[in-house]
Formats: sequence, C-alpha cells, structure tokens
Amino acid sequence: MSAPTTATDREADDGPLLDVRGLRTEFRTDAGPIVASNEVSFSLDRGETMGLVGESGAGKSVTARSLMRLIDSPGEITGGQVVFNGEDLLQKTEAEMRDIRGNRIAMIPQDPMSSLNPVMTVGEQITETIRRHQDVSKSEARQLAIESMDDVGIPDAEERIDDYPHEFSGGMRQRVLVAIGFSCEPDLIIADEPTTALDVTTQAKILDLLNEMQEREGTAVLMITHNLGVVAQTCDHVGVMYAGNLVETAELGDLFDRPRHPYTRALIDSIPEVDTDYDELPTLDGAMPDLGNLPSGCNFAPRCPHATEACRTGGDPSLDSVGDDSSRAACLHAADLDLSESTVPESGAGRRDVDRSGEPLFEVRNLKKYFNAGEGVFGNVHLSWEGGGLPTVERRHVKAVDDVSFDVYPGETVGLVGESGCGKSTVARTALRLLDPTDGEVYFEGQPLHELGTSEIRSLRREMQMIFQDPQSSLNPRKTVGQIVGRAMEKHGIATGEEKRERVGDLLERVGLSRAAASKYPHEFSGGQQQRVAIAHALAVEPKLIVCDEPVSALDVSVQAQILNLLNEIQEDENISFLFISHNIGVIRHICDRVAVMYLGKIAEFGSIEQVFSPPFHPYTESLLSAVPHANPDRETDRILLEGSVPSPINPPSGCPFQTRCPKKIGDVCEQELPELESVGGADHYISCHLSEEEMSQRDSFITPSKRAETSPADSD
Amino acid sequence: MSMYNYVFRRVGFMAVTLFFVTLIAFAVTNILPGDVALLILGPNATEQSLEALQTQLGLNRPLYVQYIDWVVGLLQGNMGESLRFGEPVSQLIAERLPRSMMLAVAATLVAVVLSVPLGVYAAVNQNEAPDVSASMFAFVGISMPIFLWGLVFILVFAVWLNLFPTGGYVSPSEDLVGSLTRLVLPAGAMGFALTAYIMRMTRSSMLEVLSEEYINLARAKGMSQRVIVLRHALKNAIIPVITVIAFQFSYAFGGVVVLEEVFFWPGIGRLTLTAIQSRDIPLIQGCILVVALIYMFSNFAADLLYAYFDPRIRYGGDD
Repeated sequence: MSAPTTATDREADDGPLLDVRGLRTEFRTDAGPIVASNEVSFSLDRGETMGLVGESGAGKSVTARSLMRLIDSPGEITGGQVVFNGEDLLQKTEAEMRDIRGNRIAMIPQDPMSSLNPVMTVGEQITETIRRHQDVSKSEARQLAIESMDDVGIPDAEERIDDYPHEFSGGMRQRVLVAIGFSCEPDLIIADEPTTALDVTTQAKILDLLNEMQEREGTAVLMITHNLGVVAQTCDHVGVMYAGNLVETAELGDLFDRPRHPYTRALIDSIPEVDTDYDELPTLDGAMPDLGNLPSGCNFAPRCPHATEACRTGGDPSLDSVGDDSSRAACLHAADLDLSESTVPESGAGRRDVDRSGEPLFEVRNLKKYFNAGEGVFGNVHLSWEGGGLPTVERRHVKAVDDVSFDVYPGETVGLVGESGCGKSTVARTALRLLDPTDGEVYFEGQPLHELGTSEIRSLRREMQMIFQDPQSSLNPRKTVGQIVGRAMEKHGIATGEEKRERVGDLLERVGLSRAAASKYPHEFSGGQQQRVAIAHALAVEPKLIVCDEPVSALDVSVQAQILNLLNEIQEDENISFLFISHNIGVIRHICDRVAVMYLGKIAEFGSIEQVFSPPFHPYTESLLSAVPHANPDRETDRILLEGSVPSPINPPSGCPFQTRCPKKIGDVCEQELPELESVGGADHYISCHLSEEEMSQRDSFITPSKRAETSPADSD
Repeated sequence: MSMYNYVFRRVGFMAVTLFFVTLIAFAVTNILPGDVALLILGPNATEQSLEALQTQLGLNRPLYVQYIDWVVGLLQGNMGESLRFGEPVSQLIAERLPRSMMLAVAATLVAVVLSVPLGVYAAVNQNEAPDVSASMFAFVGISMPIFLWGLVFILVFAVWLNLFPTGGYVSPSEDLVGSLTRLVLPAGAMGFALTAYIMRMTRSSMLEVLSEEYINLARAKGMSQRVIVLRHALKNAIIPVITVIAFQFSYAFGGVVVLEEVFFWPGIGRLTLTAIQSRDIPLIQGCILVVALIYMFSNFAADLLYAYFDPRIRYGGDD
C-alpha cells in the first residue's frame, strides 16, 4: 500500500511529466527479434493530451504498454528511458512499478465488454484499485467509488455500485473503466482506443467525458487511437506511428494543416468525411510492411508517392525538426514537400445516376424476423410475475427486424446504417434466406424468395452473393485461393478446367491481386488482401446482387479506402447492385446511392444520400450524423448527445421506438403511436416521425446555411 | 426473478429427461432374456405354477399397462418389491445409497483438492517444469482403469505399508474412525483417477482467463500476481470446471460398480451387480432410475453452482 503523492511532491519537478527517450521494445520470435517500438522519443507535459495514431501493427499499444512496463514475454524492453515525474521507470523494481500502476499512471482499455471482470461487481473493481493505492477503510473506499461513478455520469451510482458488469450497457461500462482510471487521481492516463468498440453516439459521450474529467483533474492523457477524428476532437499534440517508428510529431493544428510526413497526409486523406462527396478515395498502395521484414530504406518508401532513390536505400530516416514550427518528421524530403493540400479534390461531377424506371432487382416488403429470447428448448419461456398471484408462462421474442421494407435497383448501392443491435445484419441475412423470415415478402427479379424451397433458393444463390466483415473466418483456411474462387464457378456451372483457371486468374487481377495468388492459402494474405479474395469469390459466379456486411470495418483506413474504391469500380463495370451494411456513416455516404437508417429493428428514414444526410431530417439521423468526430480540428460541431442507451428489443418502447431518447420528442403521441414510414415532400424520401418536415428542419445544423438551402426539399417544393 | 425462470426451465427439462429414463429403464429390463417366473421357481416348475406366478406378478399383462402401473407406483413412492430379497426396492436402495454417496463424494473431494490447485499452478507456470510435472502426475491417474488403481492402492497402502484395511465397510455412526480409515483407500484410488480431467480443465480454463482483457486491466491497476490469480482469474476459471466436477462425480457413481467389488463396499454398485445377476427386474429398474436421478441432480446442482458463480446467469443473461 502506498500513500498517494501529494500535489507538492508532484510539482517539485519542473521538467515534463513524461519524457520518453529512445524507447525500444522487442519481441523474440523464431525468425529473430522484431522491433515493435523502435527508438521512440516524445514528451508530455502535465495536463496535456497527446495522441498516438497509426494503423494496426504500427506499435502504438506496445509503446503505451511499455510505459507501464506491462510487456509480457516474449516481449522485452531493450533500451531507452521512460522518465516519469523525474524518475526513470525502467530502473524501478516490479513492486515499485505496481505502486505506480493504477495510481500515478492509469490505463483506460479499449473494449468495455471484455475489460471488466464478469464475476466481480463494478464496485469491487473500483474499490480494489482505491484500496490498493490509498490508505482508506472499506467503507471510505466504497464512498470514493460511488463519488467516482457519479463523476463519470453513471446515474444512481449508489444503487448501481453492487451491480455486475453485464448489467450495464457498453457505454456505461466504458464509464466504469473511466472511473477506475481516474479513481486514484493519476498524473497520466493512457487511453488505449477508449472508444473504438463503441457506437458513434456513445463514442461522442465518452470523448466529452474524457475531456471533462481531464480538465477537472488536470490529468495528462496519452490517447492511443487509429481514428484521426478522435484525435482532432481531443488532442493537443500528436505522434504518428508507422511500423514501430514515430514518423511525425506535431501540434494538432499543424498536423492537419501542414502534415510533414507523406504517411500522415495519406492517413488524413483516406478517411471519407461524412459531408463531402468524392469520386474516388485517395489510397496508399499495399499495406504496412511486416515488422520482421522491413525495407532497406525508409519504411514507408514502398508506399510513398514521393519516394526517391535515396529513400529506398539510405536506411530509415530519423525523426527531425522540420521548418520553424514544432513539427518533427522522419522523412528525407520533409523540408521540400508541401503536403498542406489534400491530394483529392472533392467530386465535381456529383453522383452517378441510377436508372430506377424499371423494376427493382431486389425488393423487401414488411420483413419481420423474431428470435426466441434465450437459448435451448425452453429458452424463450418466461414466468411473468406481473399481476400478482400465480405466475403466468409466456414466450418472449427478440424483434430483431420488425416490419422493414426497401428496394434495390440494378446497379444501385443501398446502405443500411445504424448502431450495433439495430438489426441491419439480420435484415440482410433474412432477406437472402440465410435465416427464415418470421413474416414478410422478399422478391428477387420478381421471384418470391420467401415462398421458394431450399433447392430453388440454392440455384438463386448464384445471383446473390455475400461479403462479410471478417474475411479470415469466411475463407476456408485449408483451400488455396484458386480452389476457393474456382469452386464457386464449378458449383454453379460457370466454368471448369482450363477455362476456370483462366477466369480465376483474370478475377484475381480484377480485384488487384496477382495471378500467382491463386496457389496461395488465405493466411498468407493481409486482411485487405483477404477481403479482395472474398470479393473475387463473390464475383466468380457473376452475381447481380452482393450483400456487403461491414466489409471494411476490420480494415485499416488506408486499406479500407482501397476496398471501397474497388467496390465502386466493379459496380461501374458490371452494373452489380450492392446492399451495403455499415455502422460507419462516412463509408455509407461515400459508397451508397440510397440509405436506410435503422433503429431498433425498424427503418427510421429511407432516401437518397442527399435526402437523408444533407441535411438530416429524422432526429435520430441528425444525432447520428452529429456524433461522428470530424478529422478536422477546426470544425466545431454541435453534438446532439442522446440520453440513455438503445432499449432492449425484447421489450421495445411503446409508440415510436426512438421516443425514449429523442431530443425532439413532442409528447404523448410519440409514446402511444408508432409513426408510419411516410413519403416526405412527394419525393422518394421516407421518414418515420410524428414531427412535421418544418419541425424537423428547425435546428442549428452544422451544415452551412447556403448548402442547406440548396438541398433542402422543403425549399424546392 | 430470472433465477426463478432459470430453475423453472431446468426443472421442466429434467422432467422430460426423467420420462425418457423411465422408458429406457423399463424397456431395457423387459428386453433382457429370461423368464422371471422361471428364474424364481426354478427349471422344475410346472406350467400352471409359472402361469400363476406370472399372473400374480402381473407379467402377462400388456407392456404398456405394466409400464403405467410401474410409473404410477413410482409416483406414489413405490418402486416394487425385489424378487431376490423379497424386500421393497426402495428400502434396499435407501440402505445402500448413502454408502455409495459417501464414497463418491469423498472421491470427488480428493480429486478436487488435488486437481484444482495443481491446475492453477500449472497454468501460472505454463510450459515450464511445474506445468509439465503436474500434467504428468494427472496423466498417470487416467492411464489405468479405476479398479486397477484400487488394486494398486490395496497392494501399496494396505499390504505393504499396512496403513489402512484392505476393504470392508463400517457405518460412521457405529465407528467413525474405523469408517473413515476404510474410506481412505477406495476414495483415494477413485479420486486419483478422476484428478486428470479436472486438472486439465482447470489448467486450460485458467490459461484462457489469464489472457483476458480484464486480467490485463488488473495488472494495469497495480494488483499483485497473487490477487490477480486468486481473485480475478480463478473465480472465472472455476466456472467451466464445475461442470467437469459434476460430470466426474456422476462418473464416480459409474466407477463404484466395480470399485465396490474390489473394496467389498456394500453400496449401490454391488446391489446393481447382484440385481443383474439374479434378473431381479424391479431392483434393476430401481437402480437404473436412482443412478440416473443422481446423474441428473448432480448436473442440476452443477448448473445451480454455475449460476451462483456466474452472475451473468444468475441475473438472466444478456438480455
């Protein structure tokens, strides 16, 4: 047990709070050591927030864990200094480090679902930290825990302290983790992707909370994230990591206005912003190099559009100051390159027109899918004790999809967007008859899928393909890529023998892989390449419709942009229709022609991208859009923070499903009547809301007034 | 509230299982070759006396009537009368069951006490010497059938070292010490044989839990290794182990059939053997039913314990 350091102790030292010098962390592997964190140096002042950004494998988390000396074998910190409050942490004993962890340096981990111990109450998990580091009694610790839960905005802290983690929503669990982090008033918080696992509306609230807590406590924060939007909203300065190295450090504004490293520029450009149209996203070719097999020159040279001969041979450049601002960059040409302009102009041509004069390719009418609540034979049987007396037996259902209708025309991309649990994936699976619908009709080229038998569905599968989020689990690991793609062709009688081989090769080239890829196994490819294989597999049978279920969510942004561009390209060439499911509004906006916004198993709004997002009408669409953090520190957005969390689909609210959280709720009508999905302004734009159009459009929108006037259907009537 | 639902569901499930068990127990015993009346009266019995006995025992009625009759009897607590002993089956079982129960419980206890700490120790020192030796120790346990371990234990501890008696049973109410000394060898032999599975399960469950994010967070909070292993990890890791323990307990009940023979332990195992040898149909049915009930109840108990240890079940899961 160690006493908390007092304020005077802490301020005795005038240097920065944290000064990392030449930190090097290696992992021993069979193929020799891998340097996951290579000579990383940076410093952080009290109360400051520094972002550490980069794609997966860049070394951000390893660096952060090294600061706390939480590197497990076969990893090892092999060099450098971590000077914290004037003392080198790397010289401390393990016991001394334990007194620092959770006390002076605390961590807020990524995943609220797995970072809390499921068999301990949240109270136990907060108090044990307090009792470990502060000399307080059990009841005092409990009191402190209740206060810290209050501080992070957990309602009814006193009642909820004895609840278990699973009784909290994801956002509330993340608040508990924030409470644990701040419970001993640390000097430094390391937040490791603190909002990555959260829905966008919850993310906005947690970021606000972190900012607020930091201001109140004067804590320094090291924010580790892959999301430049999060960086732009929270950080004072930023370090960009690539392949184990810090490649650029800069003040926040400088980083976005005038990136000094080409990788930083590329990272910023690959993010589709929610309010900008692009013809094509700028991409970086390839992926981050394998840490065990780094290029001989600059690590980034193989992907860099500005690389010269010197870059490819002279070893990896060191991080040096550039120009007269505070930026430092590890680039030979940092001083000569002007990277202040984005490499992609916004789209001039506008959206491609989809011909909707004919029949829709795919039509879903009043689709419903209910699941039994609970598992097993008696899983959905529940005793209801309501009404007194003997309990009654009732069956309960999860209404995952409840009365959903939409259509997809040939060559069109229709998006389904919504937060986790809104039923978007279930819509896709049920519509394709991977799940049997509870009720409703689905037509594909006029054929009623809901009435067809298994064998008829099977022959139609050729026309309707699916691409999943995780290519690794959807590709058979024991088959070569050529076999995987070729088998689909054989099964549906498209090609065999030499012709098949030829077509597989063509397809692999089509999706940006080499013909030689056919003889390799899926695990030999990176995540982005695997997704390309999955796309080739889907294209192999020449389908008319491809359902893409979060196809880019598991990919890094630079790779995500490559895949999105590929999908766009394929659509243009083949006139394929996509049903595109994503939680990412920027992605949806970039790739879709029309979009359905889903909430709690129902469609809240359906229309073209312009109709739905520019400007948003439905209060839910509006808050969803406002919650997306922009990768632009100059942009002030008025976030609409939603109350509470998504209600349980077992027991959905009466009336409008959104009424429990709606910031624009009118009153009784919202609680009692389910609003119809009605056409607005005579256009093909449908909204399910009791508000009138005028009422919906009254807002302080973050869309500029001029743009709003142009696009608002209210004006054009 | 949800706990009630949970128990309600499990009991419903058990009722269905029990129905099938009665069906199977009844079917199996009636398919067995051999005429019961003939067995009772011997080969010299006359046609008339056989028929008379069959009528008296109700054996010439249709099978479904016999089944319904039997089940109705069961529901009234009447399991019929043993043909060989001429006593009510329930009484015979009630006398033997506690003895077998004592043996199985003691064996399971031995197994748990040995295997859980070993499993934790092995997991914490994964792939190092302690892990390897613990795994080997446990592996020796399942390398031979239970009754052979019984013989080895008798040979080593009773014959060579003369520490314990070779077998027999004394009621604990008559002679507690004598009863316990006779319990040590059979319980030890069976417990040793049961150790391996529980230990392997504890080890792999611990390894899985130790790589969880919340263990990482516990370390980042400054918790010591001891607290992390015992407070954070074991409480989670033990949950799947409980099922294995319950399974091993019911396995022990299967094991007692042979082991009771080796140690002259007059429990339900020996009773079952006797019943089968003498085609004592009501007794066989009773024994099958009781063993099945024990199996079901130990699993039910495991589920309740599971729910006790895992608050996600206790409070109705992820609704």
